[in-house]
This record gives sequence, structure tokens and C-alpha cells, in this order.
Amino acid sequence: MAAVATCGGDAGSAGSAVATGSKSNVTSFQRRGPRASGTNDSGPRLVSITGTRPSVRNGQLLVSTGLPALDQLLGGGLAVGTVLLIEEDKYNIYSSLLFKYFLAEGIVNGHTLLVASANEDPANILQELPAPLLDDNCKKEFDEDVYNHKTPESNIKMKIAWRYQLLPKMEIGPVSSSRFGHYYDASKRIPQELIEASKWHGFFLPEKISSTLKVEPCSLTHGYIKLLQFIQNIIYEEGFDGSNPQKKQKNILRIGIQNLGSPLWGDDICCTENGDSSHSLTKFLYVLRGLLRTSLSVCIITMPTHLIQNKAVIAHITNLSDIVVGLESFIGSERETNPLYKDYHGLIHIRQIPRLNNLVCDESDVKDLGFKLKRKLFTIEWVQDNYLRQERNIYPPGFSYLLKQKDSAWGEGSLQHSTFLMSFLAKATAFASRLVRHSEPLKQTGSGRICQAAGPRLWHDGRRQEAPGLLGIPP
Amino acid sequence: MLDSLLALGGLVLLRDSVEWEGRSLLKALVKKSALCGEQVHILGCEVSEEEFREGFDSDINNRLVYHDFFRDPLNWSKTGEALPGGPLGALRAMCNRTDLGPVTIALDSLSWLLLHLPCTTLCQTLHTVSHQDSCPPGDGSPVGKVHVLGLLHEELHGPGPMGALSSLAQTEVTLGGIMGQASARILCRRPRQRPTDQTQWFSILPDFSLDLQEGPSIESQPHSDPHIPPVDPTAHLTFNLHLSKKEREARDNLTLPFQFSSEKQEALLRPRPSQATSHIFYEPDAYDDLDQEDPDDDLDI
Repeated sequence: MAAVATCGGDAGSAGSAVATGSKSNVTSFQRRGPRASGTNDSGPRLVSITGTRPSVRNGQLLVSTGLPALDQLLGGGLAVGTVLLIEEDKYNIYSSLLFKYFLAEGIVNGHTLLVASANEDPANILQELPAPLLDDNCKKEFDEDVYNHKTPESNIKMKIAWRYQLLPKMEIGPVSSSRFGHYYDASKRIPQELIEASKWHGFFLPEKISSTLKVEPCSLTHGYIKLLQFIQNIIYEEGFDGSNPQKKQKNILRIGIQNLGSPLWGDDICCTENGDSSHSLTKFLYVLRGLLRTSLSVCIITMPTHLIQNKAVIAHITNLSDIVVGLESFIGSERETNPLYKDYHGLIHIRQIPRLNNLVCDESDVKDLGFKLKRKLFTIEWVQDNYLRQERNIYPPGFSYLLKQKDSAWGEGSLQHSTFLMSFLAKATAFASRLVRHSEPLKQTGSGRICQAAGPRLWHDGRRQEAPGLLGIPP
Repeated sequence: MLDSLLALGGLVLLRDSVEWEGRSLLKALVKKSALCGEQVHILGCEVSEEEFREGFDSDINNRLVYHDFFRDPLNWSKTGEALPGGPLGALRAMCNRTDLGPVTIALDSLSWLLLHLPCTTLCQTLHTVSHQDSCPPGDGSPVGKVHVLGLLHEELHGPGPMGALSSLAQTEVTLGGIMGQASARILCRRPRQRPTDQTQWFSILPDFSLDLQEGPSIESQPHSDPHIPPVDPTAHLTFNLHLSKKEREARDNLTLPFQFSSEKQEALLRPRPSQATSHIFYEPDAYDDLDQEDPDDDLDI
């Protein structure tokens, strides 16, 4: 996976949704010396693949997942050559929406799509993609959506320490069509001409497998073998792995596999604990990752992990994928009545982020992320933000000005805000509860450790003191 | 709601148990489809054909197409009557049907099929059968809806197959009841929308027609509300989260230490007279070298 130098893809065609990869000349790296003019292969040209950008941390080539909020949580985007695994929610409503956002982003950027499914025809899936929101009409729609959400007292002008005004603002609004991530209107369908202008390949399992099943004893389920061969053919024929010397522009292949592991693929991992083909899914993921690492492609897989009976397999699958995002919807569960979650439709768990060419990964500190599907937009927020929106006085006076200001990087909903809130609250409650229990404050060691685990404490003489929980039982 | 069960099409799971049996509901739904003029196919695996047809009128019995797999499931008698391929072959044959029009296929029972066939094959076949109407044939004529009614005994299967079939099904009807009154909890999954969950009390009359009823009067109220009051997170904290009006005003009037107002700017820019007398307090560390000589003195400049 090469780190490709990018140039700002300044799309001259603002109205057209398919951003063409124009080589712009706005770059600070100018070539000195005599430039051989007229010959096409003179020295390294600055090529950029549409819809990608290098990561600001290590130069890894990233593509957008279709949801800018999710991109931010994953450290800027999805690295080319990796697998994004989405653990489906129980009724497969929101995971299919994320799947469609990914594919729609591919169409808008002009990437090639490969859609594989065992229960729905890929052509039908493409018909149901959300429509992209472009520059002119998106801003007012976004504003009206956001405006309905703001509480009435948000017009209090908050004062802030002046240093923080200089911090970069977080992008919460729609961006122009030539930028990295796009916004989509979930209530509208993508225009037909965009689908026709795009290049896509479909893999619908019932068509590819003949109905007379001679079940060969094989380690990989028949459906998986067919899918892997299909993907490999497409990668080879269209030159995504650099095999055919490409005269035309390099492009990214976006692969989407729906409901992998469900019984419709012929895999019994959801039906039994120790089936015959218990390793077939893990082998499939292993081979798929090998295919992806050697080509310019990126893959999204949705998997009904709530149906998988053998929990060890879920751990294997998590290890074999690069990024794992779990969705948990509140439909039908008791969390629906919890007032903390009342504005959200579910929780989103970032279970794993890869360490690609790095020793550490960009894991965000915020753990309780909730999502909600408004009429048009899908938003991801820290759950406690909702609670604190109603209860703005939780901070000591000085801090509240530091942290809460309209239109700043520390505004509500930003991850900086949420991270600070979380650590502050944890420290405050631990401090206060310790004060109440022991009448002595915690020694400020300054090392950053805040929690004293309530475990059995043995004194030197072997007597055991009772574990002090947060609710201290009075003697 | 129970009578509009067949309006959606797709796979309908009837989950019953030992206390609340579901075959009578299955037969009631079969009778309803037959009276609507649909084609009805029955795959009888668990009970004999005479027992299944018992209770139906003769005109309904004439409309039912019965595939009998109870008497000779493995085709040992080799009379040539049984369909080749067993129940799976029969299901697959229904996948490629040539005549269009609404069809109801009743599986009696799906549990028997689950126990005798691999789960994945069964799921794939059920999916193909129940989704025929979404793939219209080449000539573009409309295909009638296919309803597949499967009777599933939930005590016979583990969570794996039950979960797999539930995720495939469009509608799931779980039978239960209280004190002799049967109820059906209907969970309806529409493709892109939230699932709906309703409970319907009913009873089956001797001629297998459905009688929808109101629930017994005792527990028509939901239980959950009086017992669990809504949780107020700010109630029992050890610190105070609320500000009184005076405190709020005091907070608003507070000047921040880092607020860069114009006074502060002038104060910084004005040359301060006190700077000449500033002191530096230094306590040497253990490793500090207190050599007073300037090491640069050695340089020959």
C-alpha cells in the first residue's frame, strides 16, 4: 500500500457528482531543473486516485466510508487494502444503511463497485442507495435538520479562553462534492443516471451456484470459493493489482459483501456450534485479506454475529478483520426506555482499529457512542452529550466556559469535548465518592491513574479488609 | 392483525410449544387461503393425511394439494407415488412453478424438516421459494405472492437454528396464552423498517375459522410501568448538579483568568515596572554541577 502524494482535487465541474481526477498544479513541491517537456514518462508524476487522501499521521492511503463521522472515529478513513467488518444489529436495519453509504460513496467518487449478496439481487441493492447531498442544495437541508435539534438556550453566548479560539474548527457541515467525505440523504434514492454512469459488478449467490448441490467435502464452503474466485478475477482483469499495465487512471475497487456467514451462503456457523464448516468463514476472511492487501481495493462486510453460536469464532473473525464496528439497536430491548438513550436509536461500538505500519492505533477514548437516524442524516455522537445538553451546569464555572462555546472546536458533539468530559467526570466522581467514603482526598500522585480498584485488600498481617465499593456500607 | 398475516407474503413462522399447539392455527390459515382462491400446497411430514384433512369441508379438501411424506418418507415401498427427492425435492419443484397466481405452501412441520435436513440447505431453499415474487419472469407478467407457513416447535431446537430461521422470516407468530385463552405475538419484519410487535388474542372454532378476541380483562394493562419509575440520573449523587438563580448570575459575571479582554492586553503591553526586581529562586538538584566558571572561557576567540 503505497503512500500516494495527493494534490487537492479541485473539481472544476462542481455540479457533476462524479469527481474526475484532475491533476492540479497547486502543489508546493516543484521540480527543479530542466523538465523534459512533451514526453509522458518524464519522471514521477503526481498521481492521485479520486476519492482518496493520505492519512495525516502516517501517509497511509485512505478512502471514505461514506459517513464522515465514522471516518473521524476510524482515524481519518478506511485504509486501502483493509476490511471493514460491521457486526449487524438484530434486525439488520442500520447495518444495511452503512453498507449502502459505503457503496454510494464509491459511486460518487467514481470507484468500481463489486456487490456480493446471497439474499438480494445486487441490482436491487444499488437502486436503493441514498442520494448524495451536493453543495447547493445540501447546506439548507443540513441546517434545517441541525436546527430542529438545538435546544433553545444554545443562543447564550459563551465566553471562552482566547487561546482556544485559534484551534481548528471541526467539520460538522456538508462539504463540497470534490472533497473527501460526502453526505447523503437517506430519504431519497440515488439518481438513476449516477448508477448507470458507474461501473459495478454483482455477485448474486443463487445465480452462481447450480441448484443440484453435490456437496464436495472441502474446507471452504462452495459459495465462498465462488466469491473468492469472482473477486480475484475482477481484480486481475481490471488491473487493480497492477498486473495489467494500466494506461488509464488508477482506481479503487470497493467490495461490499452482505450478510456473510448467514445460512444463505451455505455456512452453518449461525446454526450450530461445531459444524462441519466451522473454519470456512475464517479461511475465507484470511484469503480475502490476502487478495485485498495486494490490490487497490477496500472491502466492507456485514455479518450477523448475533446469530453465531460459537463465541470463539467471533474472536477469530475479529482478529482476521482490520476494522470491526458493532451496531446495537435499541429496538425491542429494555434500553429503549432508559432516559439516557432516549434520543438515540442504538449504540455503535468500535471494537477494533488496525495498526497499519504503526505501533499504536488511533483509538478514540470515547466509548459510549450512540447513533440516530434522523429523517435524512445518520449521526454518531457521544451518548452523554445528550444528557449534558439538558444539564449544562455540571461543570464548575470556570470549566464550563472553557469547554462549551458555540462554533468552536470544543463545541458539543466534537470528540475533543467528549473526551475531556469523560475524563473530567470520571475524576470528579471518583474524587467525590472517595471524599464521602473515607473523608480524605485521594493523594494526587499526578500519574494520571484515577481508579482505585475495589478489590480485596490484604494488610501485612494477613487480615483482609472488606472491599470498599462505591456504596460504602456504614459500620 | 392475525387475519392480515398473509397479506405480506414471504415466510411466516408459527412457533408453538407443548402447552399451546399451533397446528390448529395452521389449519385455520390454510382454510382462509383456500377460501380466498389461492393454490394451497401442503407438505405433510408429521401427521397423517387423514388427520390433517380432518375437520375441513369437502370443497376445501378438494382444493388442497397434499404431498404426503408421513407414510413413507424415505420411499422404501417404491411404489412410485412419492415425489423424487423427498420433501426437499418437492420444495424445489415449487420454486420453478410455471403457473402464476398466489400460492400458499404450508409446511407441517418445519421442525421435522429441520431435524432431517441440513439447516443451511433448508434456509436456502426456503429463501428461494418465498422470494419468487420478487424476481418476475421474462415476459413481465405479475407473479402472485407466495406465502410459506412453517410450523415450528420451539422446544425442539436450539438457539442456533431458531435464530437462523427467525432472521429469514418475514413474520414470526409465537403462540402463548393465559388461562385457556390463546394469544399470538406477531413480530412483523418489513425489509427496511422497524419491526412491529403486536399481541392478538384469538380462539379457533371447531370448523377451523379464526375468532379474534379481546384479551382477558385481568391483564390488559401493561405490567412494566407501575413497577419501574423512570430513572432520574441526578437524584442520588454526592455532588450538587443544580445551580440556583443567584449562583447562576454569579457565574455569568465571572471573569476568566485567561480571558483576553482589552484591559488585559494593555496591561501586558505596558512595560511593567516590577520586572526589574523579579527574583529567581533556584534550588540545585543533586546532579547539578555548581561550577561557577563559565565553560566558554576556554574558547579562544
